[in-house]
Amino acid sequence: MSAPVSRRALLRGAAGAAAAVALAPHLGCARFLKRRGEVPVESREVPTACELCPNKCAVLAVVEGGRIRKLNPNPLSPKSRGMLCARGNAAVRSVYDPDRVKQPLIRAGARGEGKWRPVSWDEAFDFAAGKLKAIKGQHGPEAVLWSSTEGFQEEFFSNLGLAYGSPNLVRHPTLCLASVNLAYSMTFGTVPSFDLLNADYVIMSGANRFESIITPDTMDLVESTMNRKAKLVYLDPRFTVTASKADEWFPVRPGGDMAFILALLHVIIGEDRVDREFVAAHCHGFDELRAHVQQYTPKWAAAETEIPAADIVRIAREFADAAPRALYYAGRRSSWYVNDFQMRRAQAILNAVVGSWDREGGVVPNSKIGLGELLYMPWDEPTAPRIDELDARFPLAAKGDGVFLQARENVLAGTPYPVKGWMVYKQDPMNALPDRGRTQKMIEGMDFVGVIDTQMSDTAWFADVILPESTYLERLDPLHGLPGIWPVVVMRQQVIKPIHDTRANLEIVQGLAKRLGLGDYFDYTIEQWVAEQAKELPVDNPLAHLQKHGVFAAPGAPFYGTTRKPDHRFLTRSGKIELYSERLAEAGHDPLPTYVAPTPPPADSFRVLLGRKATHTHAGTTNNAWLHELTPTNDLWINPVPAAALGIAHGDVVEVASKVGKVRLPARVTEEIRPDCVFMLHGFGKKSRQLRLAYNNGASDADVLETAWDRVSGNAAFHETFVTVRKVGEAPHA
Amino acid sequence: MRERLGIKRRRYALAVDARKCINCKACVVACKAENDVPLGRFRNRINEESGGAFPRLRASFEPEQCHHCASPSCVRVCPTGASYQRSDGLVLVEGDDCIGCGYCIIACPYDARFFNEQTRIVEKCTMCAHRVDAGKPPACVETCPTRVRVFGDLADSGSEVRHLLDSRRSHVKQPETGNGPHIHYLD
Repeated sequence: MSAPVSRRALLRGAAGAAAAVALAPHLGCARFLKRRGEVPVESREVPTACELCPNKCAVLAVVEGGRIRKLNPNPLSPKSRGMLCARGNAAVRSVYDPDRVKQPLIRAGARGEGKWRPVSWDEAFDFAAGKLKAIKGQHGPEAVLWSSTEGFQEEFFSNLGLAYGSPNLVRHPTLCLASVNLAYSMTFGTVPSFDLLNADYVIMSGANRFESIITPDTMDLVESTMNRKAKLVYLDPRFTVTASKADEWFPVRPGGDMAFILALLHVIIGEDRVDREFVAAHCHGFDELRAHVQQYTPKWAAAETEIPAADIVRIAREFADAAPRALYYAGRRSSWYVNDFQMRRAQAILNAVVGSWDREGGVVPNSKIGLGELLYMPWDEPTAPRIDELDARFPLAAKGDGVFLQARENVLAGTPYPVKGWMVYKQDPMNALPDRGRTQKMIEGMDFVGVIDTQMSDTAWFADVILPESTYLERLDPLHGLPGIWPVVVMRQQVIKPIHDTRANLEIVQGLAKRLGLGDYFDYTIEQWVAEQAKELPVDNPLAHLQKHGVFAAPGAPFYGTTRKPDHRFLTRSGKIELYSERLAEAGHDPLPTYVAPTPPPADSFRVLLGRKATHTHAGTTNNAWLHELTPTNDLWINPVPAAALGIAHGDVVEVASKVGKVRLPARVTEEIRPDCVFMLHGFGKKSRQLRLAYNNGASDADVLETAWDRVSGNAAFHETFVTVRKVGEAPHA
Repeated sequence: MRERLGIKRRRYALAVDARKCINCKACVVACKAENDVPLGRFRNRINEESGGAFPRLRASFEPEQCHHCASPSCVRVCPTGASYQRSDGLVLVEGDDCIGCGYCIIACPYDARFFNEQTRIVEKCTMCAHRVDAGKPPACVETCPTRVRVFGDLADSGSEVRHLLDSRRSHVKQPETGNGPHIHYLD
């Protein structure tokens, strides 16, 4: 392009001269100096895997001049399907968050006072190891609880707990999806995926997939419902984004979901709409099921669910007609009621009898890509019984995960033995567990609390030592295989060197292990670990492949039907899909899902609902500035009818009180919730003053939620709390 | 040069399938990161609309940003020529020429512009022209989980955006302004 002197250039020159003369910074001298054609800084693109939520989406990090400039989606992962959500995009802000814990800290004041002494890693390790040794000497290794949430480096933390000699590892599943996993395992012998991409008819209870993003389910559901006109029937007491996109939304009476499912079974079996051939070949206990569901008529269910009987009959017929491209979606979703496992079982059974199992558009067992394993020195298995009495109380639950709430209650009671130390990795029990008062009491009863985290969580705020972990963009992590209909292996490689004096979890574990005399068990580097894992991948130069692409996807296309062959043996006792379960009967539970109506809220009380929004992950992102500005605080959703009766106007400050606590927050008077429920978004009302955007902002549901759990899996039951609501302040504008 | 060779001028545009929008704000944050948009300011947004009474409710979401109009009123009112339109249709602001008068902010019928207090210039969606020129889609288009936006060249008969507009009904917002906006909302 030739560049004759133009009017624009003249004006530019004039403006520049004026600015130079005035030397006024507000006129922007800096930009005057910035000219087009300046030499770009060094730029490179590093493939890695996101850690802002559990989905592990593939990311291409753009680094300029040593600083992460932007995170782009990596199109190569069939799981994340070339997208990156708001949280994934905002991860840059978490790295450069001024509130980060920038070096190890030892508590200098009272617990929760917020006085810290910055120390060297050596001093922090010596301090923590000294405390852990003292507890072991006095009470035995079982006196330390090791709790963590899933993550690529979680295994090292768990291994340290085991090598230390404690059987008390409690992981996140019983605050998450343990009831779903156990229900599907007890029915199919495995936890499947749901082929939303190819389904024609989807029924979903509460798993608000358009606001609680799960890859690839969220994208697939949009694709199938919007582009292919698949039908979505959605049950939720709250009008969510998913409800707004569904073909039919039913504001189900809370806890009525199971009655709905049982009535669907009643119609489908009663009208002989089952996949007879499949049931005969692969299912165990159909006759018992048929007799059992006779009692659950649509008319009966209509009263329990407030869904008209005619609709239940129609949906049952439509569902069976659409099968095998029909599924009752479980997905990820915390458990709600004390019989959550049985509700999930009912879903699994419905999916089984219509023959959707392992069919395109149905419920599909996961495929997996095998990874190699680095061999390390084994330790003696801990000998003490578990604090949560798992074997006696939850004999069917996953052994390695423990039952979090039972563990907390037993620690508080001091039975069957005292627990005096608590190591926490990548988890914030102060927000994740219901009844925060009791969690805080548990912390107060500890001789030692150590937290490994990337930020000053509420739990870290009350800890004795904080061992700051590098953020995911500053670490190399173990490879991770993501099972699914289309499985993938992702690599999280280091994008930049740690910008503060933080370390990767393995280095933290090794620092502690060395001082605890357990160093030999962790005598390897992360590079060796990753190299061993990569060896098994069916691709040339697997490690180089992953470093270059960040992802290894299973070659070919998804396949279906391997578990439908006549001789296939399911991993259940009978070797078949267990509609009726002898193992459940032996453990003292209902062998077939039996409906027990949930307790209705007392007069003038509301049931608290739990839910998600696409802009935040649990309690972990409310201090991220880019996410904060999209969803800066939370409020209490309340229907206009009860709000009017209580004299509450939109924006008024209300007090929400349960048996265990009360909180204050603004009211959102909205038609988008049933009159007998209230809802507040999780993750606000932080106690940690080092989370400046989230501190004392809104309210924490953990303050009011009461302790309850599913009887079979031990999964925390989050919808069992009733609260009263009263106005305590006017709306600011009023 | 392209014209002389008989090649049609590019005309970039967006087709938006708002039904697929789940209001997740991925596009909003991606834009923020890509373009260093200051806190509290946005170059794109998702308009929310809801109504009805329990239990007969509705809600819809509609992404919006600069419409890169065919006859942009912001360019017409700019006293310095800082706001200009490229031959491919993208409406941009030449920061060095902007005096921050704000006429364009008022003239835009779509509320797509804002004054950046830090840089003292008016900013807006550039359709990530720097990415587009490098052969990449705009950040909001690339990151979207549900593929709400389709970006492309209307002059290219093989482009997806051309195909969508030829095969489906669509509308633009406020056509009466005469601006000729180029975000095409699929019906």
